[in-house]
Amino acid sequence: MSTATLPRTDFSTTMRTQPAVTTAQPSTDGFDPAYIQIKDFSFSYGAAQVLHNLTLDIPERQVTAFIGPSGCGKSTLLRNLNRMNDLVDGVHHKGDILVAGHSIYDPLIEVIALRKRIGMVFQKSNPFPKSIYENVVYSLRVAGRNGKAELDEVVERSLKGAALWDEVKDRLHESAFGLSGGQMQRLCIARAIANRPEILLMDEPCSALDPIATSKVEELIHELKKEFTIVIVTHNMQQAARVSDRTAFFYLGKLIEYSETRRIFQNPSNPQTEAYVSGRFG
Amino acid sequence: MKRFFDNELETFRSRLMLMGETAIRQVRDSLKALVDADVALADRVIAADDELDALEMAIDDEAIRYMNLRSPVATELRLVIVGMKASHDLERVGDECTTIAKRAVRLAGMPPLKPYVDIPRMAEIAMEMLRDALDCFLHGDTEKALAVVRRDSEVDAINKQLYRELSSFMVENPATTTRALELMFISKSLERIADHACNIAEEMVFLAKAQDIRHREELKKG
Amino acid sequence: MSTKKPFFSSTYKPVGESWVWVTSMGLAIGLVMILFLLGMIVYNGLEVFWPKPVARVELREGSEAGIRGSTTFAGEIIKKQIKKVAAVGSDAPPGQEYQFYVGNKDAYGFTFKYIDADQIAEITYPQPLMVAERMEYGRAIFEPVELRQADGAVIAADHPDFRPTLDRLITEAGERRRVIRKIERDRIGDINRQLESIRLRKRSLEAKAAPSAADAHQLNEVFPSRVAELQQQFGVLAAEARELRELQEVAKLQVKTPDGSDRTYAIGSLIEVNRPNDLGAFEKVGIFFHRFWTFLSDEPREANTEGGIFPAIFGTFVMTLLMSMAVTPFGVLAAIYLREYAKQGPFVRAVRIAVNNLAGVPSIVFGVFGLGFFVYFLGGTIDQLFYSLSLPTPTFGTGGVLWASMTLALMTVPVVIVATEEALSAVSRGTREGSLACGASKWQTIQRIVLPASLPGILTGLILAMARGAGEVAPLMLVGVVKLAPTLPLDTIYPFFHLERKFMHLGFHIYDLGFQSPDSEAAKPMVFATTFLLILLVVCLNLGAILIRNHLRKKYKTATF
Repeated sequence: MSTATLPRTDFSTTMRTQPAVTTAQPSTDGFDPAYIQIKDFSFSYGAAQVLHNLTLDIPERQVTAFIGPSGCGKSTLLRNLNRMNDLVDGVHHKGDILVAGHSIYDPLIEVIALRKRIGMVFQKSNPFPKSIYENVVYSLRVAGRNGKAELDEVVERSLKGAALWDEVKDRLHESAFGLSGGQMQRLCIARAIANRPEILLMDEPCSALDPIATSKVEELIHELKKEFTIVIVTHNMQQAARVSDRTAFFYLGKLIEYSETRRIFQNPSNPQTEAYVSGRFG
Repeated sequence: MKRFFDNELETFRSRLMLMGETAIRQVRDSLKALVDADVALADRVIAADDELDALEMAIDDEAIRYMNLRSPVATELRLVIVGMKASHDLERVGDECTTIAKRAVRLAGMPPLKPYVDIPRMAEIAMEMLRDALDCFLHGDTEKALAVVRRDSEVDAINKQLYRELSSFMVENPATTTRALELMFISKSLERIADHACNIAEEMVFLAKAQDIRHREELKKG
Repeated sequence: MSTKKPFFSSTYKPVGESWVWVTSMGLAIGLVMILFLLGMIVYNGLEVFWPKPVARVELREGSEAGIRGSTTFAGEIIKKQIKKVAAVGSDAPPGQEYQFYVGNKDAYGFTFKYIDADQIAEITYPQPLMVAERMEYGRAIFEPVELRQADGAVIAADHPDFRPTLDRLITEAGERRRVIRKIERDRIGDINRQLESIRLRKRSLEAKAAPSAADAHQLNEVFPSRVAELQQQFGVLAAEARELRELQEVAKLQVKTPDGSDRTYAIGSLIEVNRPNDLGAFEKVGIFFHRFWTFLSDEPREANTEGGIFPAIFGTFVMTLLMSMAVTPFGVLAAIYLREYAKQGPFVRAVRIAVNNLAGVPSIVFGVFGLGFFVYFLGGTIDQLFYSLSLPTPTFGTGGVLWASMTLALMTVPVVIVATEEALSAVSRGTREGSLACGASKWQTIQRIVLPASLPGILTGLILAMARGAGEVAPLMLVGVVKLAPTLPLDTIYPFFHLERKFMHLGFHIYDLGFQSPDSEAAKPMVFATTFLLILLVVCLNLGAILIRNHLRKKYKTATF
């Protein structure tokens, strides 16, 4: 990497500053309707191609849901947005993914810097074997930010953002494993938003939660979309209907239909989509 | 626990209330136009029907959207369904008011057949029934709703009496036929409005208690 | 009417379930054997410390079986058994015989005596019989006659002042013994160390090609005067010690041995006396704990058959600790590379198999390797480089606690690697991805998330390694364990850690007592007691590690819904 002329920080700064200019009215019009651009993207694990020439634009500060039967590639696509799939051996891709106009596959972009900008919440809540406090500030610590005042402030802001502050503020230094399942998942959300990412990826965040915890998380998603661009993969179609603004339906690695959520659920244009959302698939 | 889409239901309810208020206003105005032979008011009533039509469509759309995206169950589901049905009833009330207003315009050019006594009374009862049914919607008072259902017979009785009375007018003096017929239809319209109020009351009982009392006289006697 | 089949068939039996008992039997047999072994060791090991009654034996008139022609003697009954050897030329079935601990080795020349049961006329337990723990020749069994004090005063054994005076004198003698020891071991030892360091400095100056004037001054003036000064100090201390030693011999105890001869013991040679037939239960318990404590805290005496085993306990402890400190980072780092960074393939698989096989190599092979590599090669090199002045006396070039620990660390490293690999692979992918998604690098993930979460598993490996290392004997015999090493590898003399020192080890101590002892019969109780302590030490070390592990487990227990 000898191209020192191209500033590496370019990517991260653009992402934050560019869209926030026209926030006078609360409508989404002020935001980039194509914040994440997936362009003719294909992806394979070894010889098995799992994503086929996907093209879709994900709008800023909205909730976009990926739905589809198991193995349709929706999780794979989501995990490509922060290049989490790079960890798997023998993967390769074609096409490109752009965030705020910058390719995430740009060799100048350090994948770690990318992941700092894109938080992720996983299907099974995975708190670290640390205290609640340390869980939340983990992303700051690994970035070398250790100032006590800053960390305290981040913990409070993130836990409030994840609607968990009131429940845990008296036991911040206890183990995160003492929390309930729903609290753990909200802790993971707090952890993901601690470093103020622009984008929040959620991979079936409620699949292991009971309905009460689920609705708390959904409530949270609705709150978070004021600040973050959220992409959520879900098997629960009611959930997609409830929380998302736009929905993409995938089948066998292909994008079948992508539209406003209401349209997908009320009058989908593709019969496969209708069959899936009405639960008589295959 | 409050959910982020709870305010959608609030909008839905208030829209339905607005529609009810509008319908009652239409009944009152159409009667006033008839009694005062106020053509301008009658025209306003006819024009205002569009409001009700628009509200009905908005409520339907919202109900479909809500059922589609929020997968409501239990009380919410009944509210959405009852809302759709009640909005339809209220829209029909509006249509009846339009009919009355049109006939009021026609009657305004003719000498009065007799002083309006029974028809305003009918209208008064019908409006009270509507009001009570809406109160039930607001407060969940099912006793009041059952009372509405029982009062329907009062209106029916007046309607029948008016029918006999107006028939005798026509037999005695064929020149009064046109006016008597108009009044007979107005009476019929008011009787229909009372019927819609009954329907709404029944729907409100369903909303509050999940109990279907239609065509079950023993429940209405309560 | 239809014949309806009953819903439950009473004849149905689950197939194969009747064989479950085989599994439970397997466990039961194992448990019984382990409990039996432990019970035997604990019983025999603790019995040593319990004061036994001393029997006075009256032989039949004219019996030749007694000691020195006498028909009476006294001793502790060790066992009663059927005679192993029948009388020569007799067809009669072998009779019974007693084994007695008769003590008084200085007088008799032996400590144990077998007596045929039919020779014994009477066994009594007279109260005046006294047993004395001595510095030499084991215990003495006698009847006291009188006490001759330093000022010539004589107290007869039946005088009420006899026992308190005797105890006081013995206590005083013990304190004097400690003082002598302090003078001889610490202060004279200190002078010896200074003389040795002067000798080394002298050699280093002499070895210089072109000695300066200052060097010559040192050699000719400073060193001789310092040596003379030290030698003078030595003379003073030696005289002081001699004086104290003479004091030990002044007061005497006049006794009569059970066979009737008179003997005199200097008070300074006695450690403690008691009358075992005249003890209450509380006194016995007191003596039991006193002896147990002495065993734990004292140094061995008389070719390890008497005294305590503190140096062996301490040596084992220090060696195990050093081994753990060496094996943990080594094994953990290797496992991290193998599991986290190495590209999984045939080569890594082969390495893993090799590591597993390493665990099956006989331990003596590691001992030989340790001797060749650590002691001769590494130690020899260190001596050449840093201790060349003391050559040919080796410093690190001979067995020592450091090399022993290293050898055992090498032996146990496969255990740690395997356990650590297991623990690392048990950390879920989700947790790792969670860390990476926070923008952590792979190393940060391993360091901050994976390692803490796998600590309990790593500790399990360490516990296994420690249990194996602490109980190992064979390789240690080659790389630094000795029969007697009263200087500890850790003391108050600079530089405190003496990693080059040879050390004692409980396992080797057992071997030495049981098989290398001049009087293995006398050492038998010590073998059991030492075995008991070795097991106790291993249990304590493991328990400590298990407690830490459980604490960590609680801290890092994985999430369950």
